[in-house]
Amino acid sequence: MALPTSVGWADLPLQRFVDDARVQLAVLMQPSGQVLAQVGFKRSIDVQTVCALSAAINASGDLLGRMVDATPFRVLHHAGREKQFYLGQVPLRDGLLVLLAVFDTESSLGIVQLYLGELQSAVAAAAPPPPPADAAPALAEDFERELNRNLAQLFGRAS
Amino acid sequence: MSLVNYATREITCKIVYYGPGRSGKTTNLHYIYGQVPGDRKGQMVSLATQTDRTLFFDFLPIDLGTISGFTTRFQLYTVPGQVYYQTTRKLVLQGADGVVFVADSQARQLGENIESMQDLHANLAEQGVDVRTMPLVLQYNKQDLPAELTTALPELEEALNFRGVPSFAADALHGPGVFETLRGISEIVLRKLSTGRGEG
Repeated sequence: MALPTSVGWADLPLQRFVDDARVQLAVLMQPSGQVLAQVGFKRSIDVQTVCALSAAINASGDLLGRMVDATPFRVLHHAGREKQFYLGQVPLRDGLLVLLAVFDTESSLGIVQLYLGELQSAVAAAAPPPPPADAAPALAEDFERELNRNLAQLFGRAS
Repeated sequence: MSLVNYATREITCKIVYYGPGRSGKTTNLHYIYGQVPGDRKGQMVSLATQTDRTLFFDFLPIDLGTISGFTTRFQLYTVPGQVYYQTTRKLVLQGADGVVFVADSQARQLGENIESMQDLHANLAEQGVDVRTMPLVLQYNKQDLPAELTTALPELEEALNFRGVPSFAADALHGPGVFETLRGISEIVLRKLSTGRGEG
């Protein structure tokens, strides 16, 4: 499965989904838990935790479905007292992405499902092809000095 | 497959701590969590059993700061080491950009280390990942134990490190070697990005 590894292309479709479906939080991620786009979270580091857990639920639901029903579970919906969350899949030509949407009484499961269809179409149209194996370097060759400095600061070892 | 956002200049990499049960994978993450300032880390999530064995995974996101103009974030995962959690190990390993293999240096655990290394290779191969291209470092943990209880480092190297990847002696409970291990895997993962082979 070859998924796009660049970020940014999914921001617009996700923002439109959030506006149309009136959800409070939404994250689009790879099945491995990598964040592609998010709307509503304040700290990016919190989004990563949400995505790790969402990806785990998606993966285990998929496998559990295959084991008990020979069909993967593709959707999970939880209706809490004040908030609901919807975990679903967004298919791509070469794989799929995972969507987590959190909403309250401003929206409903039906509205979310309705606009999910539009999101799926928009994401499929916007997704760039997977990068070639010889993609351009992202980092400078002499990155080690900055890496070592930053790690030393993280671990309280900076001189 | 590291995620690179050229617009906001952000890089996110997934690092998986792999190894046999009770080798110290979660302890590594706990030590890192304890060292990193609050504004540079997220919540550490542990999906564990009532006896604190890792059931699904541990997860710790950390912010490495700016490297080559990119805000660089690492997502650190552990897998459950026990043999019967094979399925969840495969799930967590999906999309990994680098692997830290945490070996238990106790002499009686040598067989489990070898079995877990074979398991890692099999799971990567099953996911279509060429083991030789996956960034990997080894950590020989529990070096604080008395010498008579542990396997000597040259023997561990011979049994586990046939690829000749960087390896680090460690005592994850108290910290020695944890930082060096993280730095080691970080360098290799980011090196791939600096040579243009980090995507795809």
